[in-house]
Amino acid sequence: MSLNIYGQSLDSRLLIGSALYPSPQVMKQAIVASGSKVVTLSLKRQNPNEQSGQQIWQYLQEIITTTQGYLLPNTAGCKTAKEAITLAHMSREIFQTDWLKLEVIGDDYNLQPDPIELLIATEHLLKEGFKILPYCTDDLVVCQRLYDLGCEVVMPWASPIGTGKGLMNPYNLETIRARLPDATLILDAGIGKPSDACLAMEMGYDGVLLNSAVALADNPVFMAKAFAQALQAGEQGYLAGVMQERQTAHPSTPTLDTPFWHQE
Amino acid sequence: MNIHINGKAYSLGNKISITVALTYHFNQPQQSTFAVALNGDFVGKADYDTIMLKQGDSLDVLQPIQGG
Repeated sequence: MSLNIYGQSLDSRLLIGSALYPSPQVMKQAIVASGSKVVTLSLKRQNPNEQSGQQIWQYLQEIITTTQGYLLPNTAGCKTAKEAITLAHMSREIFQTDWLKLEVIGDDYNLQPDPIELLIATEHLLKEGFKILPYCTDDLVVCQRLYDLGCEVVMPWASPIGTGKGLMNPYNLETIRARLPDATLILDAGIGKPSDACLAMEMGYDGVLLNSAVALADNPVFMAKAFAQALQAGEQGYLAGVMQERQTAHPSTPTLDTPFWHQE
Repeated sequence: MNIHINGKAYSLGNKISITVALTYHFNQPQQSTFAVALNGDFVGKADYDTIMLKQGDSLDVLQPIQGG
């Protein structure tokens, strides 16, 4: 049961962020406990003479060495295709990976992705050899366009980043799954509870990317384990085939030879 | 010549390469992990020595950070 990211087979379906943890130590413990093989990170301006950024970078390198995992740089903060393309090049030089979680934000209030700028940036970067994992809304047509451009992975949101609201529109997400059966679909952003992740996997999603749900839990390490188990349960439930919902009650216990029954 | 590095103004002499400008930003650039954009366009490390900055140029020097 492996996750396929542009031909790379991974033995965990959970992708996890590296932000918002109470400490670097807890971040490392939680990421290791999650079993995730993919850790997201970013690039920002930093005070050059404080070494905190350098220390975090060394910490993240240690983590992926421990987990034998992969880094997934994002383009957080970009609002135009041009900004995202520039940041993609900067990320590739530093992190030495073609993988890119492509984010282009169109609205500051709910951090909703800008589908037009996202499509422009995706087309440009795919031609340059990047392996794009686009973060988008749960709009079927946007997801189709991204897939048609050549994105083997598409990442619709569950709900806005950091809200923990879970799956806002299950119908949209189910429709995307049904209409893009061959795409690697990863539910990204807005996950709050392990049951949210389980639900996505029961729908047949290939994976889940989350950060706040683990990092902001009272106990991030326990929560990371809970998410790992929730994804496994959801995936096994999907593979096992969920029963058809029925409109009326049906007794589970056989009615034949019911005790105390008397024929009139 | 006036330039900006990460939004901070610097007044430097003429014919300053990106390599030299970075020494005004970092105490020890060689010990730091970073990438550079000049006026919004990526510049690879191989070009730091040869690109000369001009009046009004703006450098972005970005470093790894946690992300979601």
